[in-house]
Amino acid sequence: MTGLFETYSEIIPEFSLFQERLQRPIPTHLRINRLLIEPASLVHLLENKGVQLIRSSQRYDTLYLAPGLASPGNLLEYFLGYIHPQALTSAIASIALTPRENSCLLDMCAAPGGKSAHCAQIMNNTGLIVSNDLYTNRHISLGHTLSRLGVLNAVVTGYQAQEFPLKQRFDYVLADVPCSCEGKFRKTRDTSSYRENKGREKLSVLQKKIILRGFDLLQENGQMLYATCTYNPEENESIVDLLLKERDAELLPIDVGFDFEPGITEWKDKKYDKRLKNAVRFYPHRLDSVGFFMARIGRRR
Amino acid sequence: MENRFGIPKTLFEDYLLFSTKRSWLLLKRGQHIETASHLKVSKVGLRTFQRVGSFVKPTTRFIQTFGRFASKGKLQINMEQLQILLKGGEIPVDLKLDNGYVILSTEEDRVLGLGFLINGKIRSQLPKKEIRSAMLNMTSNKTIVSQN
Repeated sequence: MTGLFETYSEIIPEFSLFQERLQRPIPTHLRINRLLIEPASLVHLLENKGVQLIRSSQRYDTLYLAPGLASPGNLLEYFLGYIHPQALTSAIASIALTPRENSCLLDMCAAPGGKSAHCAQIMNNTGLIVSNDLYTNRHISLGHTLSRLGVLNAVVTGYQAQEFPLKQRFDYVLADVPCSCEGKFRKTRDTSSYRENKGREKLSVLQKKIILRGFDLLQENGQMLYATCTYNPEENESIVDLLLKERDAELLPIDVGFDFEPGITEWKDKKYDKRLKNAVRFYPHRLDSVGFFMARIGRRR
Repeated sequence: MENRFGIPKTLFEDYLLFSTKRSWLLLKRGQHIETASHLKVSKVGLRTFQRVGSFVKPTTRFIQTFGRFASKGKLQINMEQLQILLKGGEIPVDLKLDNGYVILSTEEDRVLGLGFLINGKIRSQLPKKEIRSAMLNMTSNKTIVSQN
C-alpha cells in the first residue's frame, strides 16, 4: 500500500497499520452533554431505542462510541441538546485543558462550537467563555451549537485570532487552529477536506501568529492548548518550537488516559526543542478517530 | 415564569439579563463579565425571550434548559401527538389553565419546548425545521441502527 502520507513513514510508528486504518471510515463518537442530562439517563434512553453505546474510556462517562449509528443528528436527543456528535480526539482537546470552574477561557477559533460547549460543561456553566471566530457567517452555527447544548456562560466575538485584543488576559486559551486537516482523511470518501500542498506555507504563517497571540493573552498562571487535526510537523512541532524560542513558555504534560505518541523532536533536516516530547500525537491506528496534535503550554515560572 | 410555570425567580439570581430591541439574553453572572465588556461581542449567553408582535415568547432553548424546574403549566405528549402538532394540527386537552404557553414534554418527561393553549386545544410552538421526521420514527424498542 503506497501513497497515503508516505512522507510521514519515518515518524508514524507501525506505518503500514496506519495506512490500513485509513481505509476505514471514522467511527461515530458522541459526547453526552452533562449540562442537560446525566450520562446514565441518556444511555438508558438510547438503549431503549436500540442504539448501542460503548464507553470510550473508563475515566470519562460522557464519551461514547456509537457503532452503526449513521446519523446521530436524526435522534430526538440531538434536538434536545443531550448529545453532540464529536470526534473523540476533539473532545480530548477540551479534557486536556480541563478549565476549572469560575475561570475565564478564550476559544480562539471556536466555530462550530463543539469544544466551547464541552469547556462550558467542564466548567459547569460557570465563569466566562469567549468563543471567537473570524467569520461572522459561522457565528450562526456557533451560536446554534452553544444554545442547543444549554451553554449559559459564553459570548461570541469575531476577531482575527492572531489580532485578538490584548486588553484582557485569560486563565485558559484554546487554539484549535486552521490546518491542513490531514487527520480527517480516510480513503473511503471520494473527497476529503484535507488540503494538499498548496496553501500550506500560508497556514504555517497564520498558525505562528495565532500561537504567539494566544500565549500573550494568558494570565500569569494560565494555560494554552495548541491543537491541530494534522500530522504535518511544520504545522505542529515547528509552530510550538517557534513559541518556545520567542517566549518564556513551558510545555506541560498531557494526561488524558488515551493511547498517543509523544511529539517529535526531529523532522527532515530540522531539530525541535526536546521539550516537545511533552506534546502528543493521536494516530487513527492507535485511537480510531481523527488524527490530532496537542501541546499544553504555560508560562515558564 | 413563576406564575405560569412555577419556575422560581430565585433560580435566576446568578444570571444577568440583557435586552436588545427584539430579545432578552441570559448570561451567567461572574467576576469575568468585565472582560466581555471590553470586547465587541456579537452574541451573549442564551436567548431566553423574543418579541413576537406584541407578545413576548420564551425561546425553545430557554425552556429546554429551565423547563425541568417547572411545577405547573406542563403537558406530557406521546410521539403521535407530537407528529400531529408538527404537521400544524391541534390536540384537545383538559388543562385547568388560562390560554397561553404550555411546556411540552415527552412521556419520559424530557422537555421539548412550548405549545400554545387556546380554548382547550394545544398548537405547536416548536421549531419545525429542527425536529426531523426521522426523530419521530424512533420510538422505544424499535431498532434504528443501520446494519453494516
